[in-house]
Amino acid sequence: MNALLAVLWKDLAIEWRSRDRFVAMLVFSLLVVLVLYFAAPPSLDAALNGYVPGLLWVAYVFAGVLGMNRAFAAELENDALSALALAPVDRGFLFLGKAAASFLILAAVQAFTAVFFALAFSLDFWAVAPRLAAVAALGGLGIACAGTLLSAISVRTRYREVMLPLLLLPLLVPVLLAAVRATTQLLTIGSLPWPPIQMLIVADAVYAIVSFLTFEYVLDE
Amino acid sequence: MNGAVVRAAGLSKRFGPLAALQPLDLTLAAGETLALLGPNGAGKSTLLRLLAGLARPSGGAVRVGPDGATRPARRAAVGFVAHATFLYAQLTARENLALAAQLYGIAQPDARAAALIEAHELGPVADRTAGELSRGWAQRVSIARALVHEPRLFLLDEPFTGLDPRAAEKLAERLAAQRGGERAAVLVTHELARAVQLATRALVLVRGRALELAPSALATTAALEGAYREAVAALEAAP
Repeated sequence: MNALLAVLWKDLAIEWRSRDRFVAMLVFSLLVVLVLYFAAPPSLDAALNGYVPGLLWVAYVFAGVLGMNRAFAAELENDALSALALAPVDRGFLFLGKAAASFLILAAVQAFTAVFFALAFSLDFWAVAPRLAAVAALGGLGIACAGTLLSAISVRTRYREVMLPLLLLPLLVPVLLAAVRATTQLLTIGSLPWPPIQMLIVADAVYAIVSFLTFEYVLDE
Repeated sequence: MNGAVVRAAGLSKRFGPLAALQPLDLTLAAGETLALLGPNGAGKSTLLRLLAGLARPSGGAVRVGPDGATRPARRAAVGFVAHATFLYAQLTARENLALAAQLYGIAQPDARAAALIEAHELGPVADRTAGELSRGWAQRVSIARALVHEPRLFLLDEPFTGLDPRAAEKLAERLAAQRGGERAAVLVTHELARAVQLATRALVLVRGRALELAPSALATTAALEGAYREAVAALEAAP
């Protein structure tokens, strides 16, 4: 548990000082929303409602992939990844610390993006904000868990910027399907359906458990 | 062997078709310092990373610490000073040391960091980020970091690089003081005089092949130079 907290503190302290990951993710996410706004014909307002959740999650996933590509950037400098790998702890806790930091950074980006998205598409998220935040958190957790594992795998490869999206996006299909379905129903009907939430919880649990158990070997050269 | 800190049997490493390290048997007891000598690309850093547990061997096995030690327990026995400093550039020297102490399960990481700063005379740079430090200061912090948990096996890959004469002497004193103690060390160096000053044994590596020198080779720098040249020639001539 000490290792989890140490890594979480370290990642958040580094992010607070550099802000490079948060700023890059946020700007990219807002640009995606802007592109989607201009790409959506204004005459299709009514039909657009059904697509809105999907568009929001496009921004979340792209921002998440960009952020996960930077998840081990601080470890690449001075080969700090080797120092982390040498720590005499269950490396699963190192994974949890890294994933927790990525989750918190992504959550902050998701919150700003949702506000910008609501303004751009003239939507009122306020009534469903807590439940929308819960769905975003469950989806974000899946992105952070799978992304941290795959980022650790790809960080030592030559084409890591290309490798990570190629590995991560297919793995996020269940998370994306469930999150879009849950968000769609929440925004159109106003209620939160249980089956996609169940799917999100199961996907998050699978990613977290598999990553925790395999991280010991992932950090080996 | 009683008191053995490292036991490697048939340890080898391949990178595709390239044999970075040919099968090697090595036992290192507490109090011993092994000088690892050889030209660039000989496999010295690869051997260190295998001993540290950072790389998986292609063949054979290496045991560090007591029999049956778990992987985390084995890592706890190792302190490693590599070419890279292992420091987070955005954290201060003090924060880097405290982080290491926390990762090694030390109860009061801040107090341990303060003690290391004092012992290694890092006061002038303690609250500067590692990214702002010169190579020499960063190396000194890196050495302190590697000793945060008082490891039984101390691995040093050209640790004198970038150190000013005073810091180099302090490090040499520290390494000399551990001879005969509970700690074993492996020192990669190109400075034969340092090897004579600090090592109790010497191993020459060329193209992944190893040859241990006779103890008499460490009597003087001239003796080591002669023995080293002969060993390199023999290893290069080997099929």
